[in-house]
Formats: sequence, structure tokens, C-alpha cells
Amino acid sequence: MICESCQENEATVHITTGSGLNKTERYLCEVCANKSFSNQFANFPDDSFNIHQLLQSLSAQQPAGAGMKQKRHCDTCGSTIENILKNGKFGCADCYGTFSGKSNEIITRVQLYQTEHVGKVPAKSSAYLKVKKEIESLREKLAELVERQEFEEAAVVRDQIKSLEAGDGNGEG
Amino acid sequence: MAKVSPWITAAEEKPVEMSSRIRLARNVRDIPFPHMLKGGEMDEVTARLKTVLSGFGEVDLNVMKFEDKALLVEKHLISPLFTKRGQLSYISGDESVSIMVNEEDHIRIQVMGADESLDELYERASELDDKLEAEINYAFDDKYGFLTACPTNVGTGLRASVMLHLPGLSLGSRIQRIASNLNRFGFTLRGIYGEGSVPLGHIYQLSNQLTLGRTEEDIISSLNELKMRIMEEENEMRSIMNDDHLLKAKDSIYRSYGTLKYAHTISLKEAANHLSNVKLGMDLNLLPENTIRFQEQIQLIQPAFIKMRLNTMEKEYGSLERAVDEERATLLRELIGGTS
Repeated sequence: MICESCQENEATVHITTGSGLNKTERYLCEVCANKSFSNQFANFPDDSFNIHQLLQSLSAQQPAGAGMKQKRHCDTCGSTIENILKNGKFGCADCYGTFSGKSNEIITRVQLYQTEHVGKVPAKSSAYLKVKKEIESLREKLAELVERQEFEEAAVVRDQIKSLEAGDGNGEG
Repeated sequence: MAKVSPWITAAEEKPVEMSSRIRLARNVRDIPFPHMLKGGEMDEVTARLKTVLSGFGEVDLNVMKFEDKALLVEKHLISPLFTKRGQLSYISGDESVSIMVNEEDHIRIQVMGADESLDELYERASELDDKLEAEINYAFDDKYGFLTACPTNVGTGLRASVMLHLPGLSLGSRIQRIASNLNRFGFTLRGIYGEGSVPLGHIYQLSNQLTLGRTEEDIISSLNELKMRIMEEENEMRSIMNDDHLLKAKDSIYRSYGTLKYAHTISLKEAANHLSNVKLGMDLNLLPENTIRFQEQIQLIQPAFIKMRLNTMEKEYGSLERAVDEERATLLRELIGGTS
């Protein structure tokens, strides 16, 4: 069968759109099929911008910081950097940190060289981040104290971490 | 029969500026973004939101017919993407606030209005945002701000937009020049309906493209400034029309008025174009003030709205499009007071 649209290529794709009274069937070649797959609501505004092209050029490049070991996939959602570039979307919030080098590159490009949030800071999340940072610095302190064999003080720090972690579990800290 | 949103019906019709919209993208901290979730996992997001949004009308897309979803898209209450993947949305009584759950992000808050400024709309969205945050742990990062599935929304997660009726600027190539200038500042101007060179009804949407590195207030005030500039240019074109090309303008405006009043079949594109001309005629004081309600009628002529007026089951297969065009003309004759 010949493609209904271009009347040239072999029709390899069968497209059914709508249902019931609105149902239409078409037999198209691959090229025309791709063209016709434009959204049912092609007439409607979409908030997303076409970033696929932008990201594609990134994926063609060498991985950021070649030589440096980049993580292969995100522990939380399983996304790989290839997936992220292909979808134009991160898999989860943790992907931003997991692929920090690459995500910085992506964001820089998409946001016209802006890299720092200066807008609204949600109350609870900022408290959570503060606690998280505090725990991190206490952990470093703890490691130092252990190294210097100052165990008494280390125990105090360890308890501080424990109590912070207990309050922090649900982000209510 | 389908009605336009109450907030539009209640709004005052002004020249050029139609309506404004604020959208915030938010995500829950410990759940992967929607496109990574399977059916059951999606419910987790909805379950967490239910209690906070108890005051809103709950719209379950799983049990909706395509036509009903299309109507929500035409009212800009949900996105086209959402009709395919979304499950639940929350809509306020006057339909000015809607929240989409599990669209591209877990939460999309949207507030629309015609008589309120962008700042006021943002205030309302931000208050709702605070209420949600009290119950939910947002994915937020010190450096990047609100984390979103797509890097084009990261930071503030804010998309502010204004709908503008620009028939004057659409006449020349001036609009393309304006649009490409805006792009360099991280803003976009594009047709709200259709991607063609002249969008349906000469209606454009001005919105911010960048979401990172600037405060919400900063983004909104720049957008307001650009809006004023575009409106000035539009008004300039309208004065030229009024002063130097009045006969031509009058002719096309009254022809459009006549067509809407007496046509018996009319396509969406043609109807939108004539409504745009008639609105311009009202703004130029060539037609009485209440000849049409532009913002309402540009929605009423959309396919899903028209199909709601038809009993589609009675129409033969294949003739639906014709039936819609016929019904659109009937509606317009009713509205504009010609013969019915």
C-alpha cells in the first residue's frame, strides 16, 4: 500500500485517532506518520519549551570532566545521564546531585547561564536543608575527633547528630 | 451546555490585555518525577495532597470522556499533556485556580485572572504554595531552588504569562521583530492558538522563559514592563489604522461583523479572525461597546465547546466537522443578534 499523504513511499504505519464518531484511520509512510503525530492539541499552548535539541548537542559531547568518574545511574530512580538527555527531564530530585557536573552544564545552557536560585525559599524546606548541613558538618567534626582519639567529645557530637537526625526524619526540623 | 469559566464572565473587557496567569511547578521530595512513576506510585502523590485541597472541586480524569477533558484544555484548566497522563486535578469554584497532580511535575499550581495584576495572582499562588508546603516536603535545593523534572522550570518554577490581543501588530512583520528581541531577554511571545505566522484571533501569550537566577518579583516586574511596551506599540499601530487607513479598517471590521451575524457555516479560524476584527472595531469606537464579549466568545467557538452543544450521537460518521462548523455559525448568530 502507498502512503495516503505523500503518495510515494510504502505505507508502513497505521494510525487510528479518536474513537466512536471521531475515529479516523490512516495508512502512512514513516516520514508522514511522524509529521502527523503532532499533538491532538497542536493548537494549544504548552508550557514546555523545546529543549530536546539543546540537550541532544550535549549528549554528543564528551561527558563532563572526562577522566573523572561519573556515576552511571541514579540510586534513587535508576536514571542514566543518557535517559535524562533523551527525555529532556531528570528522573527525580536526586538526579540533580547524582549527575552534578552534567546537570550544571544542562541548567547553565537551558537557563542562559544562570546557575543560582535567588527566589522564594520555602520555610520548611529551608529548615530541613539547614539541619542537613548541620549534620554534615558535625559528621566531619566527629571524624576529626575520632582521629585525634578525643572520644569523650566525640560522644557528645555523636549524640548531637543523633538528636538532629531524629527531629529531621520527616523534614519537620 | 458548556459555559466559560465564571472568572472570565465576571471580568471587565479591556482593549489589548486579556488575562494573566501564574504557574508554579513543585515536586515532592522523596518520590521520583511523574514520568518515572507507575500507576500505583502516582496515587502516593495524590493521597498526600487530598487533605490540603479539600476545599477544591476534585476532577478525576480517569473517568472522564475525551470531550470533557478537551473542554478543560480549552478552558486552560489542564494542559494537553495532562489529558493523556494525568489522573487528578483540583479546580476552584470560579475556575481561576487549578492544580494538576502528576503532570510533568507532581504539582502544578495555576492561578488565572483578568482584573487582577500578575503580582496579585502570584500572591494567591504563593499562599496556596505555602499551604501545600506545610503538609508536603518539597524537593528544594540550596543552589538550584525548586527542583523540577524539566530543567527549563528549575529555580522558581514560575511561569508568568499575559494574554494579549494584537491585531495591529499582526498586520506587519513588526511582531516577529518584537518576538525575537524578547527571546534575548529570556521572554517569549507566541500565538496562543496555533503555530502559524498569524495566530488564531491575533491572540498572543507573553511569558518568561527563564526560571532561575531571578526572583519571582523581578521576573514579574520585567514581564509587566515588556507588556506595557508591547501594548504601546499595538496602540501606535491602531492610531495609524484610525488616522491613515480608516476606510480600509472600517470595511474589514463591518464585513466581519456582517459575517458573524449572518453566516450559516464557519470554521474556527474564520470565526476567530472575525471576532478579532469586531473586538478591534469596539476598541476603535466603530462598534458599540457590548457587541461581543471577546474573551468569552473566543472560547465558546472552540471545538469541544461546540461539540457540547451538539448531540454528537445523532450525527453521521464523517460529517462531524461540518456539523461543528454549522453549529458554530448558529451560536454566533445567536450571540451577535442576527437571525437564528
